[in-house]
Amino acid sequence: MSLLELEEVNSYYGESHILRGVTMEVEEGQIIALLGRNGAGKTTTLRSITGASPPEVRSGTVRFEGNDITGRRPEDISALGLSLVPEERRMFSNLTVAENLHVPDISRNLLNRIGRSEETGKTGLSDEEVYEQFPRLDERREQKAGTLSGGEQQMLAIARTLKQDTDLLMLDEPSEGLAPQIVQDVLDIIEEIAEQGKTILLVEQNAAAAIRLADYCYVLDQGRIVYEGTSEELEANDEVRQEYLGV
Amino acid sequence: MSVVGSVVGFMIQTLAVSSIYILVAIGLSITLGTLKFVNFAHAAMYLAGVYIGLGIALELQFSGDIARSIGLGNVGLDLGFLAALAIIPIITFGLGLLMERFVARPFYDRPDTDQILVTFGILLIVQELIRAFVGGRSLTFSRPAWAEGAISLGPLGTYASWRLAIIGITSVLVLAVYLYIEYTDVGLAVRAGTEDTEMVNLLGVRATRPFLVIFGVGSGLAGAAGVVGGPVFSVVPEVGVGVLVPAFLVVVVGGVGSIVGSVVGGLLIGAVEVGLVMNAPTWSSVGIYALAAVVLLVRPAGLMGAVEVDE
Repeated sequence: MSLLELEEVNSYYGESHILRGVTMEVEEGQIIALLGRNGAGKTTTLRSITGASPPEVRSGTVRFEGNDITGRRPEDISALGLSLVPEERRMFSNLTVAENLHVPDISRNLLNRIGRSEETGKTGLSDEEVYEQFPRLDERREQKAGTLSGGEQQMLAIARTLKQDTDLLMLDEPSEGLAPQIVQDVLDIIEEIAEQGKTILLVEQNAAAAIRLADYCYVLDQGRIVYEGTSEELEANDEVRQEYLGV
Repeated sequence: MSVVGSVVGFMIQTLAVSSIYILVAIGLSITLGTLKFVNFAHAAMYLAGVYIGLGIALELQFSGDIARSIGLGNVGLDLGFLAALAIIPIITFGLGLLMERFVARPFYDRPDTDQILVTFGILLIVQELIRAFVGGRSLTFSRPAWAEGAISLGPLGTYASWRLAIIGITSVLVLAVYLYIEYTDVGLAVRAGTEDTEMVNLLGVRATRPFLVIFGVGSGLAGAAGVVGGPVFSVVPEVGVGVLVPAFLVVVVGGVGSIVGSVVGGLLIGAVEVGLVMNAPTWSSVGIYALAAVVLLVRPAGLMGAVEVDE
């Protein structure tokens, strides 16, 4: 059984039919790259998985660990161990680094107190573990997140997600807008997280880097999966890379 | 009176007027910041504070047409001002929870205009219900005996103890809510949600409950404002609308979603109003709009605001 399965998912933004029957699988322990041009439906795919609205998933099924999670709320899906690091990082920029990292802990503290049972007994990384893995954030604990550099914000966005008990980490364009040497740092961190046993679903404009990192790749075009194969296969397939990825 | 004395006098009068605006504005600001909900019915909590508060503290005379036709007389617990100040925030907190659930929540995803129509309509209904039962004439909400008279602040002059009491009560309430939002998990969820509610949800936190709690807290403050403001402003059904407008300007000037912004905005609006009432009374009601317009031209998000009102 795959960790995550999408079966014939059709998603709409208003009346625009964006995802047209997307079927894909994410195997546990792998890095999966989801590639395609701008507007191919990559972000829509990730948002459809997390339960965020819009888009609206009108038909098809999303299964996580074998359970149908289609149409559930983002906070419940997240609590099951499926997390998204969204496009543009989405810092709480008026909150400090430490406060940003504390937001995922609220579910454990506050919601328990007012009566919602936890869906998993497990926890993510502790503060100390996070700061150990991201020493730059340790130095900037009390700084407002909005004042961090782009690379530091991306680290914080990833670290914040690791505070949750996450099995599958989805990253939407983590290298977007970052300087080349910082891009490599971010890719290294993604690899490190994968080595710690998390499954990764990576959406990237930087197709060459993503293919290098990934075990298996899907290519989206106009809301449809037009190609899937191992990284070696995609690397060897000049036709697909040129037509859909421009590399 | 010395120059220092008149400056301090001006400040104290400003603080007393500002206090009431600030207490009402904080709830408006938070619900607009977190829930993007334009809540004109918030002023109904102020009315509840005034009228129920009067009934708890002293006695409420029911002399409206409907009350007379069903023979409703006077109801009063006569428990005193402090009892009203303690009980009213609890009552209006509860009313706030009900309002969030049954009025606000069905309209969260609707356009601002729908929210304004519904909430302003509710405020008018509450106002007219008060007129029908209690009557439209001005009632007297007497100051408690302990706050009558004046206190001497040495060389700074002598001031009405009532004004100082208002300032003290407001400071305690605002500080308490500020600390609650700054240092608790509910507050953290609210501050994070003000910036990006969806991201809060994506991090596994159901933001609706903290938002509900904070809606109630804002309503509680507005209720307290009614108790404090009762003896200051007139006790008539229209006083809800009368307080709503400056409180809204406070939010606009201070910036949506920021308690510090509400305090700063409240002080500015209060200072302009008091200053004009003292020196150019004919301009006093225009002045606060002019201030709001100037602030918005220079800083569209308000002085302390992180989000623009239109966003």
